[in-house]
Amino acid sequence: MFRLKSSLLFLSFLFMFVTTYASDESKIFPYPVNKVVLENGLTLISIPYESPGIVAYYTVVRTGSRNEVEIGKSGFAHFFEHMMFRGTEKYSAHAYNDAVKKLGSDANAFTDDDWTAYHLVASSSALETIMDIESDRFKNLKYAEEDFKTEAGAIMGEYNKSYSNPMLSMFEKLQDAAFTTHTYKHTTIGFLDDIKDMPNQYNYSLQFFDRWYRPDNCFLVVVGDFDQTKLVDLTKKYYGDWKRGTAKRPEVPQEPPQTAEKVISMTWKTPTLPMLAIGYHVPAFNDREVDIPALDVLSQLYFSESSSLFQKLVVEEQLVDFVDGSYQNHRDPWLFVVLSRIKDKTNIEKVQNAIYAALDEAKTKPVSAEQLANVKSHMKYQFAMGLNNADAVAVTVGNYLQITGDHESINRIYQMYAKVSAEDIMTVAKKYFTKENRTILTLTQEDSK
Amino acid sequence: MKTTIFLLTIFLFMSTALSSSMRIVEMRSEKSPIITFRIQFRTGSINDVKGKEGINAFTAYLIAQGGTQELTYKQVIDKLYPWATQIDVVADKEVTTFIGETHRDHLDNFYKIFSDLILHPRFDVEDYNRLKEDGMNYLKTTLRGTNDEELGKQAMQGMLYENHPYGWTNVGTVQGITATTLEDIKVFYKTNYTQANLTIGIAGGYSKGLLERMKKDFASLPEGKNNVVELPKANPINDLEVTIVDKQSIATAISVGFPVSVTRADKDFYALMVANSYFGEHRTFNGVLMNKIRGERGINYGDYSYAENFIQDGGTRFMLPCVPRRQQFFSIWIRPTKPEDAHFSLREAIRELKKLCENGLTKEQFETTRDFLMNYSKLWVQTQNRRLGFELDSKFYNTEFFVDRLEKELKSMTVKDVNDVIKKHLQFKNAKVAIVAGNANELKEKILTNAESPIKYASKVPDAILEEDKDIVNHLLNINKGAIKIVPVNALFEK
Repeated sequence: MFRLKSSLLFLSFLFMFVTTYASDESKIFPYPVNKVVLENGLTLISIPYESPGIVAYYTVVRTGSRNEVEIGKSGFAHFFEHMMFRGTEKYSAHAYNDAVKKLGSDANAFTDDDWTAYHLVASSSALETIMDIESDRFKNLKYAEEDFKTEAGAIMGEYNKSYSNPMLSMFEKLQDAAFTTHTYKHTTIGFLDDIKDMPNQYNYSLQFFDRWYRPDNCFLVVVGDFDQTKLVDLTKKYYGDWKRGTAKRPEVPQEPPQTAEKVISMTWKTPTLPMLAIGYHVPAFNDREVDIPALDVLSQLYFSESSSLFQKLVVEEQLVDFVDGSYQNHRDPWLFVVLSRIKDKTNIEKVQNAIYAALDEAKTKPVSAEQLANVKSHMKYQFAMGLNNADAVAVTVGNYLQITGDHESINRIYQMYAKVSAEDIMTVAKKYFTKENRTILTLTQEDSK
Repeated sequence: MKTTIFLLTIFLFMSTALSSSMRIVEMRSEKSPIITFRIQFRTGSINDVKGKEGINAFTAYLIAQGGTQELTYKQVIDKLYPWATQIDVVADKEVTTFIGETHRDHLDNFYKIFSDLILHPRFDVEDYNRLKEDGMNYLKTTLRGTNDEELGKQAMQGMLYENHPYGWTNVGTVQGITATTLEDIKVFYKTNYTQANLTIGIAGGYSKGLLERMKKDFASLPEGKNNVVELPKANPINDLEVTIVDKQSIATAISVGFPVSVTRADKDFYALMVANSYFGEHRTFNGVLMNKIRGERGINYGDYSYAENFIQDGGTRFMLPCVPRRQQFFSIWIRPTKPEDAHFSLREAIRELKKLCENGLTKEQFETTRDFLMNYSKLWVQTQNRRLGFELDSKFYNTEFFVDRLEKELKSMTVKDVNDVIKKHLQFKNAKVAIVAGNANELKEKILTNAESPIKYASKVPDAILEEDKDIVNHLLNINKGAIKIVPVNALFEK
């Protein structure tokens, strides 16, 4: 009882920023956004959305495999995501699962290079229960060392389930070669040796929780059918006493510029078509400078289904069954990756040259106004049509929040797309698609001649 | 606190109608800026021509990823691209469904191309060559080489339906695709793409005029005859019939299955759904299998069971609509384990199934699972596209809307109903078991001799689990010793 009173007293002195952003015709994001920041640094982003009786609830942690700075700890952010389901004193793992089951919710989590997200889609009337069980595990996670070791086995299982597909191994090799210093050198699931050593890292896991699972490193994103006043009250009630982090958070080492082309290859024991991956270093996501928006537009112009390269390689000459080239938003400088699966080993070089020719064209030949307009139209409609349920809206907003900390990045990046010119495309192509800036990886079947 | 999810009620108008011999399923919502089409034909891999297994899927892909009589494939792509619209196809055992979705800004132009693809396909030889190679590569490299989980599932289904119209993959066989000519496809199209086989599904903010136009346009298809293939019963299974797919692999994937005589058309199916959800709800920690094998023992990433054929819809954890079947099977999916844990995991799964068959659910287990399904099922239809898909499925099964039917059945269901259905439809003695393994001979020997399968843990585990393990490591599996075989991976999906 005393603890409850103290808590309420504490809450009454909370200092909050409350802001509502009305939807604006000039902005691509069509829904109003409410933003509330608690004194402890936790930010609540809530978005009313027509999904009667349903709410999507995301806890966004701005920590992913990017933050695995210490040697031997790769894969830990993802491992920790698993540990978050191992319970607290108040709600054991079984009690948590029972609660989630009782709600009939769709609940899960995922980890990526830059972030980790815990998400539920459930009945709006379950909102308080959700906030109770979710806040509890973020504040009070507690697991035995034995549970920690048992969960390490599941991580190995997750690695094993993906292993038969060479794509996982390809990205392990590509990232390892392309990066010398930055933690993007490893994939999110981590190096195999580190995964095998995970059972021995119990003490580090406690440190990891203390360091990153703090309100000032997290966002709540709530989308759907809810009462805003009640939501804010519940946020204060359940998250207000979550302590701000004090542990030192290690800096992520920055990658020096690549100065020479890197060429690597690998073989695969089981049947596979040859594959080619070319990674070019490009900057971090930035919604105020033209480079990343121009690269995104370039990706559509030169690698989408309507591009000349796709038509040549997939439809006309039928040398490959797919070709793609794109940049995925990242907090630090990342890669523009061109990926293709080639039907015959003897055509690898021919395909590689066709890709280079396309990128050379991007440097020298301005695209037409019509091509640019088509791409911009495609990007706009693709975004709008993707927001077709509360969960999709929440994950979209969460993705931009984890990158920049500001949901307005969605509108800014699309405003930048609208401004990208033919000249901008040529400029970024010349700047980034150079020989010395690329890492080339080819994969072939071991016994294929 | 009891919480309830109510079904979305945004559709102003829902109806099913017959127009000549074609069926119409419409869900109009004036507010929706998106229009979804699902055009379904009652033709599937069961209609494949003997020796040309795969022709149904080949035809469907050549329509969806080809051109129209007016436009080449490239021109189709160029037209669709600025609208960010996409045309997909799902070609399954009994039906083939073309799915198109567009923003209302482009509705007329999109509909023209979408309908032309289906009504006036180009059947270009270059598209034929491209898609033929894609189909072959899917079987020869993707399935055989780079996706052990799907390989195990497909191998199990192949065993389950040997000498049955469900007995090959939806994509076909290597020899079947090889033998299929462009002329064969044109004949197949004329025979099967008929009004008698057609159901038009449409949802979203479309006008009544559009629907009238569609009826008229699709009436240009031949009237045709309903060409539903008679399905024999699947072969009886004697004990556990094990096939080990010999393939270089660092982990071992296991699929177990046996036919069940109920589908969504039957009352018993809904009680079976409850039993299944309790036992192995897909990608949740609700199920017994998941908790026993992964949660308590950390053996692998996941362990689930299914009361019907289940395909996950993309990145969601929900079932894909528009893959209905008149015959269904119950299955268990054990995701890849370390090779040394495979035998133990199979034992554990079968042992838990035995316990389910013998003990059923308690009243509390039933009520928790029923309440879960009551809410969870509402999340299966959060988009109009998926809802339209389930509407079409319900028409296939000739029953009311799946989620509504489930709710209705759940409301009146008792724990006795579920336990009776378990006794009636589930069993643990006769099943097909497909194992994808890199140590096939060693594993075969262990299974044949019922060798002990000890398990090593990375840490101390509770005494209760160790006690249970003592029973599992020697649990006698009802193996059909004469039927156990090793199949080289390259022999699968050949003919």
